[in-house]
Amino acid sequence: MNFFNRKKKQPGVEPQTLQVGRLRASPGWRRFSKNRAALWSLRMLYVLIFVAVFADFLANDKPIYCRIEGQTYFPIFKEYGIKLGLSQGDEAYFRREWQNEIYEAVIFPPVTYNAQQADTPNRYTSPFGKQAVRSWRFRHWMGTDGIGRDISALMVHGTRAAMLVSVISMGIATLIGLLLGSLAGFFGDERLRTSAPRLLLNLVALAAGFFYGFSVRAFAMTEGSLFTEVFKSLGILFACLLVANLIAGQIERRFKFSASVAIPADTLVNRAIETLSSIPTLLLLLSAAALIQKPSIIYIMAIIGLLRWTGIARYIRAELLKIRSLEYIEAARAMGLSEWRILFRHALPNGLAPVLVAIAFGMANTILIEASLSFLGIGLPPESASWGNVLQNARSSPQSWWIALFPGLGIFLTITIFNLIGEGVGESINKS
Amino acid sequence: MLQYLLKRLLLFVPMLFVISFIAFGLNQCTPGDPVEAALEGTGVMPSAYPREYKQKAAALELDKPSFYFSLTAVAYPDTLYKIIPQRHRETATALIAQFGNWPEISGYLQQIAVFKTKLDGLRRNPETKDQFNLAMYATERLPQTHQPASIQAGFDSIGLALALKPALQQKMSPEFETLKQAYRQISSRQTRGKLYIPTIHGYGFQNRYHNWLIGMLKGDFGTSLKDGRKVSSKIKEAVNWTLSLSITAILLAYLLSVPIGVYSAVYQGSKAERVVSIFLFGLDSMPNFWMASLLIIFFTTPEYGMDFFRVLGPASLPADAGFWERFFSAFTAMILPVFCLAYGALAYISRQVRASMITALKQDYIRTARAKGLTARQVVWKHAFRNALFPLITMFASVFPAALAGSVIIEHIFNIPGMGQLMIKSIQGDDWPVIYTVLMLASLLTMIGILVADLLYHVADPRVDLNNKNRK
Repeated sequence: MNFFNRKKKQPGVEPQTLQVGRLRASPGWRRFSKNRAALWSLRMLYVLIFVAVFADFLANDKPIYCRIEGQTYFPIFKEYGIKLGLSQGDEAYFRREWQNEIYEAVIFPPVTYNAQQADTPNRYTSPFGKQAVRSWRFRHWMGTDGIGRDISALMVHGTRAAMLVSVISMGIATLIGLLLGSLAGFFGDERLRTSAPRLLLNLVALAAGFFYGFSVRAFAMTEGSLFTEVFKSLGILFACLLVANLIAGQIERRFKFSASVAIPADTLVNRAIETLSSIPTLLLLLSAAALIQKPSIIYIMAIIGLLRWTGIARYIRAELLKIRSLEYIEAARAMGLSEWRILFRHALPNGLAPVLVAIAFGMANTILIEASLSFLGIGLPPESASWGNVLQNARSSPQSWWIALFPGLGIFLTITIFNLIGEGVGESINKS
Repeated sequence: MLQYLLKRLLLFVPMLFVISFIAFGLNQCTPGDPVEAALEGTGVMPSAYPREYKQKAAALELDKPSFYFSLTAVAYPDTLYKIIPQRHRETATALIAQFGNWPEISGYLQQIAVFKTKLDGLRRNPETKDQFNLAMYATERLPQTHQPASIQAGFDSIGLALALKPALQQKMSPEFETLKQAYRQISSRQTRGKLYIPTIHGYGFQNRYHNWLIGMLKGDFGTSLKDGRKVSSKIKEAVNWTLSLSITAILLAYLLSVPIGVYSAVYQGSKAERVVSIFLFGLDSMPNFWMASLLIIFFTTPEYGMDFFRVLGPASLPADAGFWERFFSAFTAMILPVFCLAYGALAYISRQVRASMITALKQDYIRTARAKGLTARQVVWKHAFRNALFPLITMFASVFPAALAGSVIIEHIFNIPGMGQLMIKSIQGDDWPVIYTVLMLASLLTMIGILVADLLYHVADPRVDLNNKNRK
């Protein structure tokens, strides 16, 4: 799928409540589960999530459990313990060559290699060819790459990277998209009203937040760890906005300002969406990725999340445009609830179901983007296990078909799964 | 319609402005010194380096402010941009960020320069050559660092060099003491409070953004940092490749997907149709770079006996090669990439055509047409297909930008010298004039594509009101 900007069919006319507790009993779920392809895709997704979470227990050079000379070890658990600071480990424990030990009893993970380990005698070994391994248990089932890394181990750990990137960046995108899309759809151009002093104070606070959060702290951001410093800066920004709004509330009460200024939320958000979607995504991502000196999974997640919210915003906007003129919203308004309360407690929850479609397609897209960026060598760091990184290595050795086949298959299947789920959800909503 | 067109074209202006801000802002945030990047590998003598640097920086307008105004703290002087090279400016900025007293910091930096000139006067003395080199090296490093430890280390090595030779010591000692004094003053007279008072410096029109924008409007896109060629000529070559790639691919996809989509709607539910549909769904999710990698592995290497395409990308031909020779070279170079670009669009479009044909075939007028006794062919093509044409046109708005974006990675893989490859190479080489221009141009092309689709929408169905259309 080489379309980054595609717009899938717009679903959903009637609002659908998503109640997680009673999801399985809902008519929507019943309709969804009749679509066998979608249902099986969902089950496959559970498998993928399982693989991502338990990657260390599925592909590791250490055994899960073993007994050596009467001593019992749980090396993988111990490694986790040491990482979490719960357990102490000595150097010798780690330098041990677990694969060459003589065991009394042992349980190895299904794949007996981890993603970084280079099995140097076995470079470019075919899955079917002769391999210099101790026994069938240590075979490279999907072959090895140029430095002897096991492709199946890379596949397992690549699943983790792909899922992590897609879940977190779609999480960011969903937050931004829901907020902006619902502002645009629910309030339109007329209904988001505020008083002149509040608007002014917010603008000032935005400038001040930018100044105190980012300008002043530019030095601290380059010196310290960027990730935590950015969080501190965002905190300062929000604090500025909070203070401004508290003051604005006081001023409004004292001097009796009415909410007379309309903010054209719909126009602003629509222009933003149009502008962002008229820049070819991959080009924008590439130039944003050029800022990064040291590639890291966090940057990739943040960049994709900050740029890919337009689809979700579109869906929720279209949905809230319909919902806002329904009777129950009128009723809530007649009861005197505030607009924000109506939006977040009544309108938004009923418009969420179609967003699931956008999220599913977005997940597919994100996985594709991450793989593309890694394939181009500007995504995840080259030593980390990612399907795109592995696929990139295939170009240097055309005779090793297995390096190209398996990671590509992983990307392909994951994208298909998300697309099928997205279509299933869309159909289930449309049929209602 | 004309009014609508004008309105949409006017909307392009603010959008392009925002995109230019984004492109320019990204450049401003990019770490690294563009002048050093440009001078790298040009073989400039070390002695001539500072002069060359200054000239290059002036040519790149790096001695000008970057924007019309800047929002900074009072502690920063408004002439900070005048400090070149960039490393010295970074040091000054970092020192200000720590201590907030520009007068003292500026005094310290000036003192380094004074010390260096005085030291330089002693260059010719053969007796103190080694010590001179040591002191000079340390002095040159001083304005490049803001860390107290490395500044102290610099002082220590200068002090050591001076202490070893009384001849040096005698001449340089007073300056060295002033220098150390100047540095001590920075930390003793801190004015950190100034860091928290915001101020706005205005710079007028003599800034880099303004000049770049005006240049863009005049059609002058600047010169590449890497090879000094005009960006416009570089892009002109590249855009031909990219456009011919993506337009061929889209044409091919449209031509093939119409019959596929129509027939799979007509024979809906049959076994053959099911197979085709599943196949198309699979194609739709197939990453094009994977397909490209597989094609390269199987069709360009002799490993599997199917090396139909031996070279990747257009072969370099002699200058006197005839038209047909050139044509065939380009043609064979484009077969695989066009296929990689087309199959995704093909799958997507046929699925959409199928969906809209299915809806059209269910309409009452189709039953009427059948009842009238028209042939199946007439019903399908004349009555149903004409009404199902609609999404085909609107889809152009998403297919065209997608093909442009998709060609980035495909060009990179197949070594086609188009916009995508140019972009990737420029990003890897921090060649920002090229990046800006490609970004702006690709966005403009995308906007035009969307606009054309909207207009076609209206042409295909005049009932659609352009101004009140809720685009999906």
